[in-house]
Amino acid sequence: MRELVRILQPAAGQRGWMLAGVGLGVAVIAANTALMAVSGWFVASMAVAGVTQVSFNYFFPSAAIRLLAILRTVGRYGERLVTHEAAFRILADLRSWLFRRLIPLAPAGIERYASNDLAGRLRADVDSLENLYLRIIAPLGTGLVSMLLAGLFVACFSTKAALVVLLVLLAAGLVLPLATQRLAQQPGRQSVKLAGALRNRVGQGLQGAEELLLLGATDQQAAEVERLSRELVVQQVNLGRLAGATGAGVVTLAGFALVLLALLVIPEVRQQQVSGPQLVMLLLFTAAAFEGVGPLAHALQLVPATAQAVGRIRELADAPPALPEPETREKPQGYRIELRGVSCTYADGPAMLGPFSLTLAEGERVAVVGASGSGKSTLVELLLRFRSYRGSIAIGGVELAALAPDDLSRLVAALPQQPHLFNTTIRHNILLGRELAEQELERILDDCQLSRWIASLPQGLDTPVGESGSAISGGEGRRIALARTLVADTPVVLLDEPTEGLDGETEQLVVQRLTRRLTGKRSVLVVTHRPAVLALAQRVVRIEQAS
Amino acid sequence: MPTTEVHSLSEPWLRQQARTVRGRLLTAVLWGLAGGLLIILQARLLAVLCQRVVIDGQGRTAVQSLLAWVALVILLRGIASYLGEHAAVRAAAEVRQQVRSLLYRKLLLLKPAGLAGEVGPLTEVVTAGVEGLEAYLARFLPQMVLAGLLPLAVLVVVLPNEWRSGLVLLFSAPFIPLLMVLIGKGSEALNRRQWERLSRMAGHLLDLVQGLPDLKIFGRAKHEAELVAVVSEQYRQGTMAVLRVAFLSAFTLEFFATVGTAVVAVLIGFRLLAGNLSLVDGLFVLLLAPEFYLPLRNLGLAYHSRMNGLAAAERIIPLLERPLPATTLAGRVLPSGSAPEVRCESVTFRYGGQRGGVQDISLTIPSGGLTALVGASGSGKSTLARLLLGLAHPERGSITVDGTDLAAMDQAAWRSQLAWVAQQPFFMAASIRANLLLGADAADETAIRDALEQAALWPVIARLPDGLDTVLGDRGAGLSGGELRRLALGRVLLRNARLVVLDEPTAGLDAENERLVLEMLKRLAVGRTVLVISHREAAIARCSRVLELANGRLERMVTPQQYLGVSS
Repeated sequence: MRELVRILQPAAGQRGWMLAGVGLGVAVIAANTALMAVSGWFVASMAVAGVTQVSFNYFFPSAAIRLLAILRTVGRYGERLVTHEAAFRILADLRSWLFRRLIPLAPAGIERYASNDLAGRLRADVDSLENLYLRIIAPLGTGLVSMLLAGLFVACFSTKAALVVLLVLLAAGLVLPLATQRLAQQPGRQSVKLAGALRNRVGQGLQGAEELLLLGATDQQAAEVERLSRELVVQQVNLGRLAGATGAGVVTLAGFALVLLALLVIPEVRQQQVSGPQLVMLLLFTAAAFEGVGPLAHALQLVPATAQAVGRIRELADAPPALPEPETREKPQGYRIELRGVSCTYADGPAMLGPFSLTLAEGERVAVVGASGSGKSTLVELLLRFRSYRGSIAIGGVELAALAPDDLSRLVAALPQQPHLFNTTIRHNILLGRELAEQELERILDDCQLSRWIASLPQGLDTPVGESGSAISGGEGRRIALARTLVADTPVVLLDEPTEGLDGETEQLVVQRLTRRLTGKRSVLVVTHRPAVLALAQRVVRIEQAS
Repeated sequence: MPTTEVHSLSEPWLRQQARTVRGRLLTAVLWGLAGGLLIILQARLLAVLCQRVVIDGQGRTAVQSLLAWVALVILLRGIASYLGEHAAVRAAAEVRQQVRSLLYRKLLLLKPAGLAGEVGPLTEVVTAGVEGLEAYLARFLPQMVLAGLLPLAVLVVVLPNEWRSGLVLLFSAPFIPLLMVLIGKGSEALNRRQWERLSRMAGHLLDLVQGLPDLKIFGRAKHEAELVAVVSEQYRQGTMAVLRVAFLSAFTLEFFATVGTAVVAVLIGFRLLAGNLSLVDGLFVLLLAPEFYLPLRNLGLAYHSRMNGLAAAERIIPLLERPLPATTLAGRVLPSGSAPEVRCESVTFRYGGQRGGVQDISLTIPSGGLTALVGASGSGKSTLARLLLGLAHPERGSITVDGTDLAAMDQAAWRSQLAWVAQQPFFMAASIRANLLLGADAADETAIRDALEQAALWPVIARLPDGLDTVLGDRGAGLSGGELRRLALGRVLLRNARLVVLDEPTAGLDAENERLVLEMLKRLAVGRTVLVISHREAAIARCSRVLELANGRLERMVTPQQYLGVSS
């Protein structure tokens, strides 16, 4: 439970909305129980008056009945709006908080999660935080306060009865749900885990549907999804069974509360400590009071699954970044790059690089070649501050670990090995929201050999590229990513296989234009295995297989 | 818009799904009905109790047996409530499983034909979308039947006791469904838009997180984080707009229910005062008034469930009803064994006439040996490969394999004779072994090792602590790009294919590994027809002929010497 409250810290600004929701909830329950109580008392009093012919002032109770009826309906509508408003505000806060937490983690901190799993954590798990306030915290707060108020009300007439009513309310609202919740823990955890696994499997299969079909593995994949789905459904039925049992238990306890109340209060009526109409009032009041208990049971039932979702989000958000942001930022002098004895390994896997040393003077253009798996791409990722390393990497005399990411992105731009194409237009994929004069953009497009192709598209630069660039070819995507790199206009440019997927002719043109554009003050580090690209460099460095 | 048309189909479709679990749903309704009748009985017993104590002045001992009856009725209510809920949940679970299985199998066939859509939203439909059906089946449907039956039962007992109150109930009741429908209509449209927004948001976040490294490189991550906030904010505003209207129907219901109860209370009060009614009858009616509205109120709450169910169904139905690409299932099966000769005659295929595609291509890929397919980016190489693989079908012209038209062939049998390595091969987050065995279950350890050695990958995998059982991350994370490519080639070797299409098989490989792979291709080409899409001279030089495409047309068909001689 403490974890559940702690996760709300980033949304602390919404505290007012949260409290307002609970306050309105209590008011609605109070209005409803009061309505039933006054009605019962009024009807019984009128009956007694009818029988005994003693006059009865019916003006006040009949007006109160109408007022309470309206209060209850309007209050309920308001309560719903306010609690939902609070829930979505919290959700929005948590969503951007989580994304911000992920920024320093990508890519090293999140590459062990399948991307669909990651999306699931970002959406389904974060969305289940909507439950956190709306279906857990608000009903719990409302329910507990209402129970105490109900006990106080009954105590005005009979202490013994008040004690019994309060105890049965607590049994129905807390003890019973907590008991079933213990039973629900296992299926709850299981179902969240299975739902994640299912989402993952479904997404992967759809992504690779063509190959699955050609490999004849479609049935195998579908059967696997069916198995996961069936396991999930079984857990969900188990949860449903427990929910049903809790609901039935609340109905039964509410009924027993009435019987117990009658047993206790009827003698007091005989002793004239409580009037007859008051007995009727207490009976109707108690019956209504139990209506407020239902959501409480439901709330407690949701705790395990939500705690699981919170745990998954925490696991993601609390992972240590590969390289934490430095506490004090040192300003780099120039942009000379020096790597001394740099090596890098996976968490507990094989070496990815090194040890490797290299100096890239300002304005120097170096090509790095080597066998695949020797760590060429890792080298680029290290220079981008994506991974932790041993040895020393200094840019402009500042150790990379002590360099603020913002300063780094002003100095260094890169075309990574697998650039991501966002599911928007070509223009946005190139600019990423940066400002650039139209003329300069055209020059860059021309250098990347994109102008002719873009001109041939009916929507030109506003053509959507599809999911991960699915609507365009690999070579086109590569050149869009290259253009994106050139827009940055940084003194240092890292290029990882800039011409992958291009045909020989286009490759030569791109290398020519790149050489012209990047010659001068710019430092270039290009990683490649293609001979044509070597023309871009002044010298070639060979990287040896990591040992 | 076709959506409104589909929408009118959603309800019948959902009812049809419900019919497959008719027995369970009927059980749920019967238990609900039993629970309702028990409530009426409980109300009568309580009213009698109050009459005896308040008016007749009886003590505890006199009413003890009455209280025992109340306790029994309550116990039975609890049991009915549990059994009803359980039956409804089981029914919905069964339907979810059926629909998910049907839908996913369909999508796995629609996706390769390019007919389905983007992966993010589709995944959402198969997972959360199918879950949405539960709301309709388990919550709405039983409630709908009960809302028709239970108020009627209450009226039947109220009218003879207190016909005036009965009339209040009777006349307030029809307003409830009427207003609900009016308000419901409005919020249905909103709800539909809301669903679209939800799945767009899911796709947007996945997209952003996948591209997070790229955003960081250019210092744009914080900028996009603001976009996440904007999108979440839009989602909140959109959802609240839906809810403000959706809650109106609940508000209407509660208004009538509460005010109706209040009017009945006041009415009964004055009848009692005049001495026209006994407390037992008056209280009985007062206790039943909320119960009269309760099933309608429950239906009101379930109405939201109905809309969730409809919204989910609306996403599912078009996918289920989309026709599958024409596949010949009982067509001709080529005898296995020899390497086939593939011939294209005037083949034309354009993606909806927009861009790319191939036009009027006639060519022959000779039986056995390596054929290279070259051309600039976007010249139609991938399209031609998709046509040969049967993933797309020519709009005009025909493709024949050993003289048999591809269109007349048994697709499954043809696929089993094919192997394909895409530019970005599919790997699932599973062990290396499981990925190798996709589509080749029978391969034994020796065959696996042999294939990996031919792909020059055995030393790499042997070095891993878990060897073949090393679990790859998403999209094969854990191996380098070149290693993944070779793993895909290894997978091809495990298949007993006769036609092999390789898309840039040596991309991302260094010279040494490229040489190893090319030698492997030479061996692969014995007894198989191999088509290699490549730009790489080394790969082209090993082929026996070169097909060059330009702008979707066949430019020329030459020897590698001719092609390389002119090109360099």
